[in-house]
Amino acid sequence: MSVAAVEPATAAGETLLKVENVSLSFGGVRAIRDVSFDIRRGEIRAIIGPNGAGKTSMLNVINGFYHPQAGRITYKGATRRRMRPHQAAAQGVARTFQNVALFKGMTTLDNILTGRTLRMHKSFFWQLWRYGPALNEEIEHRKYCEEIIDFLEIERIRKEPVGRLPYGLQKRVELGRALAMQPDLLLLDEPMAGMNLEEKEDMSRFILDVNAEFGTTIALIEHDIGVVMDLSDRIVVLDYGNKIADGKPDEVRSDQKVIDAYLGVVH
Amino acid sequence: MQSGASRDPEGALDTFPKWLRHHAQVRGARPAIRLKDRGIWRTWNWTDTHESVRALAHALRTLSIGVGDKVAIVGANRPALYWGITAAQWLRAVPVPVYADAVADEMAYVIENADVKIALVQDQEQVDKILSIAARLPQLTHILYDEERGLRTYDHSRLHFIAEVMAKSRAALAAPAMARELDDAIDDGRADDPSIMLYTSGTTGRSKGVVLSAGRSVAAARDTVEFDKLTDQDEQLAYLPLAWVGDHYLNYAQMFVAGGCMACPESADTVQQDLREIGPTFYFAPPRVFESLLTRVMIRMEDAGALKRAIFHHFLGLARRWGEKIMDGKRVPLHARLHYALGALLVYAPLKNVLGFSRIRTAYTAGEAIGQDLFSFYRSLGLNLKQLYGQTEAFLYVTCQADGAVRADTVGPAAPNVSLRLAPDGEVQFKSPGQFVEYYKDPAKTAEALTDDGFVKTGDAGIFDEDGQLKILDRAKDVGRLRDGTLFAPKYIENKLKFFPNIKEAVAYGDSRDFVTVMLNIELASVGNWAERNGIAYASYQEIAAHPRVYALIAEHVREVNRALAREAQMAGAQIRRFLILPKELEADDGELTRTQKVRRGFIAERYATLCAGLYDGSSAADIATEVTYEDGRKGVLAARVRIEDVDVDLPVSHEILRERAA
Amino acid sequence: MSFVYSIFVDPFVQMIGAPDLLVQTLWEGLVGGVLYALIALGFVLIFKASGVFNFAQGIMMVFAALTLVGLHEKGVPAFLALALTILVMFALALAVERVILRPLVNQPDIILFMATFGLTYVLIGLGELVFGGNPKNMITSELLLPSGSLDFKTLGGLVSLQKIDIAAAIIASLMVAVLALFFQKTRIGRALRAVADDHQAALSVGISLDQIWVIVWFTAGLVALATGIMWGARSNVSFALEIIALKALPVLILGGLTSVPGAIVGGLIIGIGEKLGEFYWGPLVGGGIESWLAYFIALAVLLFRPQGLFGEKIIERI
Repeated sequence: MSVAAVEPATAAGETLLKVENVSLSFGGVRAIRDVSFDIRRGEIRAIIGPNGAGKTSMLNVINGFYHPQAGRITYKGATRRRMRPHQAAAQGVARTFQNVALFKGMTTLDNILTGRTLRMHKSFFWQLWRYGPALNEEIEHRKYCEEIIDFLEIERIRKEPVGRLPYGLQKRVELGRALAMQPDLLLLDEPMAGMNLEEKEDMSRFILDVNAEFGTTIALIEHDIGVVMDLSDRIVVLDYGNKIADGKPDEVRSDQKVIDAYLGVVH
Repeated sequence: MQSGASRDPEGALDTFPKWLRHHAQVRGARPAIRLKDRGIWRTWNWTDTHESVRALAHALRTLSIGVGDKVAIVGANRPALYWGITAAQWLRAVPVPVYADAVADEMAYVIENADVKIALVQDQEQVDKILSIAARLPQLTHILYDEERGLRTYDHSRLHFIAEVMAKSRAALAAPAMARELDDAIDDGRADDPSIMLYTSGTTGRSKGVVLSAGRSVAAARDTVEFDKLTDQDEQLAYLPLAWVGDHYLNYAQMFVAGGCMACPESADTVQQDLREIGPTFYFAPPRVFESLLTRVMIRMEDAGALKRAIFHHFLGLARRWGEKIMDGKRVPLHARLHYALGALLVYAPLKNVLGFSRIRTAYTAGEAIGQDLFSFYRSLGLNLKQLYGQTEAFLYVTCQADGAVRADTVGPAAPNVSLRLAPDGEVQFKSPGQFVEYYKDPAKTAEALTDDGFVKTGDAGIFDEDGQLKILDRAKDVGRLRDGTLFAPKYIENKLKFFPNIKEAVAYGDSRDFVTVMLNIELASVGNWAERNGIAYASYQEIAAHPRVYALIAEHVREVNRALAREAQMAGAQIRRFLILPKELEADDGELTRTQKVRRGFIAERYATLCAGLYDGSSAADIATEVTYEDGRKGVLAARVRIEDVDVDLPVSHEILRERAA
Repeated sequence: MSFVYSIFVDPFVQMIGAPDLLVQTLWEGLVGGVLYALIALGFVLIFKASGVFNFAQGIMMVFAALTLVGLHEKGVPAFLALALTILVMFALALAVERVILRPLVNQPDIILFMATFGLTYVLIGLGELVFGGNPKNMITSELLLPSGSLDFKTLGGLVSLQKIDIAAAIIASLMVAVLALFFQKTRIGRALRAVADDHQAALSVGISLDQIWVIVWFTAGLVALATGIMWGARSNVSFALEIIALKALPVLILGGLTSVPGAIVGGLIIGIGEKLGEFYWGPLVGGGIESWLAYFIALAVLLFRPQGLFGEKIIERI
């Protein structure tokens, strides 16, 4: 019997986000120097580099937390100057944080529901009374969130305040909240940091599944280079704020500059 | 409200599909099965269930399943998989449930051994597993799956989505001729048709397919449905592994006969919450589940305020004193009754509610010995917890305790219509209504399991108490002797150790040795809590297991077991001299436990040979390097230096001295 | 001996001896407590959502009441004045967000606290400049609030309930209920809780902090207005009311800075406690303990529960 799994076509779609000659500095510290790269629709794009390479800064630039001093960012064909984080969110950029930024006093379900904020349309008045059209809308959103809960296999903790959950699960809830936004671009800041091997495996599977099931474009920062090689379609390597390589995992792996800067030094 | 069992004057209800049709006619609107899906409980009544099974049966027939064909069922408790079981039985095919957590290799063995033609599986995980072994299974033609996620892009030439094939079947069954033919097929079912094949895990060797017939299965279920007065008002949570006799009997067979309802949990992780929401009336759990529940309750109480804690312990003390007497209908003074009633209001009822036990009328535990304290704790709260002793070969019940005649150290008298006897060497033997037909394709093993006069040999050593209740000691073949001739019953010692909440697993050695030693697993939940309260930091199981203060804690438990053993004339010589705490938890995936979580002593001794040697050569530590399997099937290496500790033994205490002390 | 008697026995003998007086005292304490609770609620709202300890909450109350009465004095009809005052509170919320919160975002808490000090004096100055510094009477009847009292001949005496107090208790309870529903059940409420928990994360899911801050300060302004009307009706409207507003401090300490139920229960305890204390134990020390008893109670609680009765337990893990 030969029922082989058909590989989902690795999407080499059009460019979703283009970073051109971006530089960012804090006071005298130059975090990012003249970096350019692009993210294509449907791919998993990794940004790697040793500690202090400017990875998280890069993510914060894309997400609108930081405003670069120089360079251009083109997202969905529109070049932007300054964008505030909630505007980025409104345009379909969702993210998770390196150290988990959840609403600790709220339940898993409520946390994920906050991801629906921008998808809720009914007026403030209806919201106030939670009645009529707003109630139907709330039910729709709840349904969507339940799909995510099922997807991430976190039914057990649906009603638990997230502050009490172990770290690995918190990371999963955070991913769930980002997914609830139905993002076009999902930014993951070290999704596997601080996890044990089994949790890393789970998270990798979820990332691949998100990409395959929803077709979500994913940009991730990761320290664990092994995981990145398996996960991503293309990789950007940063070192001291400079881009030193960009390409498919195999190309990056054999790049001498990368070996010197990252693999050679750290591992 | 009536028992379905009473409604069968002609005795024609001798297969499960016939019962299904019967219930659809008699109590079509009563709930038959529930599933929590996306946070909401969905319910199918008997009419819906009948209709769904019918559609699935048609689908199986279209995929050329006929009389005697085998259909594997792989996955968690889902309605579609239960329907698959009945649908196969409808066509007089034989369902073969396979443990969902079996690794691909184990699964390949069962599927191949059982000549499975079609596999009905839950999800992508199981599909992937079967695809990875498909090359070795030429007789396997199709795979049907219940959950679509991740599978859409797979090649679907031999892979089918259950919901889709059922929809197609429903359309086809709109043609009356087609429908009538299928409906009539139910009546072709015979009492001696094989109804199901259950693979026994077996502590040694490859597992065997136990063939159970339809008529006998139904007969056995009828007896116990009557014994425990189950009706169509009863409800239970179907959370036990599908491939285990306990699930097939307690959830499937009994509910099919009684016309009750089984609820499928949302996932394996949510069982505890689902239990609360469903509030079952009948419940089964192995002792370890009761134990971990108790541990969790106690840990939570530790964190509660002083007043709450005081109230809690006051009323637990009261329950310990009077609770069981009240439940057994014994004479209890009025003031105690009133006090107990107050306790029920303030503590017992809320506690039972938290545990999901509020509506339970009958609860059973089995599979392992249960500690007296643990057993009494639940009973004193008013939970009608009883023990049974059973086997796959008996289609579960061999003995069971009647309401009001319940003890912790026995498993009850023979179940209804079961003949029970002890062989001269102490082995328990029985004949039961649900008795198995044969081991599939293995007449030699079948003959081996039966006596000349048709009794089944259980392989368990036991004794009868004065009131006729059976007491199980150990596996007959595991009972050994120390070099000096002292009786060594490893399980007996292991159980005594495991009654301590801090000890999760124990493996005792001593047969043909000079003295007894044990390897232990600590219970991370309770030891972790203890460590936290005592300011001991740790990062992993391995680290805390090796901590000197944990060793001291555990050594105290071992000494206590020795003190208890010293009081028993036959066991005093088998006290524990040395022990160690294993650096990893014993796992079924590593072959250290059976799928039903029993320790495999011989295998563990081989695998940790260096540790075993260390236990007997007097050294204070030993090294171990061993391969471990992660959940996804990948392997890694674990290396550690393990401390070995000596323990004092107690002088044997004669019974005369004990009596004098008491006086 | 007689001193001990006068502390531990005599007051209770008095309570039992004259139950009508006890009920009267309890009632007055209750109404005061409800109003304290409302003021504290304003603090809690702002503290939760923006992490700012709003020193100006008390002044916001006076300012709101003053604006209402002042507008009426200048010839604006009562309900129009009420509507205008609500608008003014909204404008104030917008201004605070623009001028204080947005520029000072991510500054240490103490800086923001100092900024609310500044806000306090700005509001005092503005109020006096526009409406003058003289005490004014609340426009109770113009707002259709009842006056007079309900007298019950009961318990061997007379219990007299001011109608305005009854109205105050009802309005305050309604307000608390609506706020609680708003917080728990609506999208905005969820967003508010989200912001209270983690600013960055709230931003990342598309919640606009600016909007939330405006909503919170506006809500706190409305609460202040309601409280101002009630207090004003009980005494009069002047910046002396600020002293009363400061009573919210012990209420907060008692209830915990972050807890809405804490604010309510704390308010009731302080309100009833100080009335009982003043009436039964006050004479022992020559009266006038009402002004400091609240702080005393709060300090006692602080000794045993540093997080307050309902506050979040903060455990520093090592």
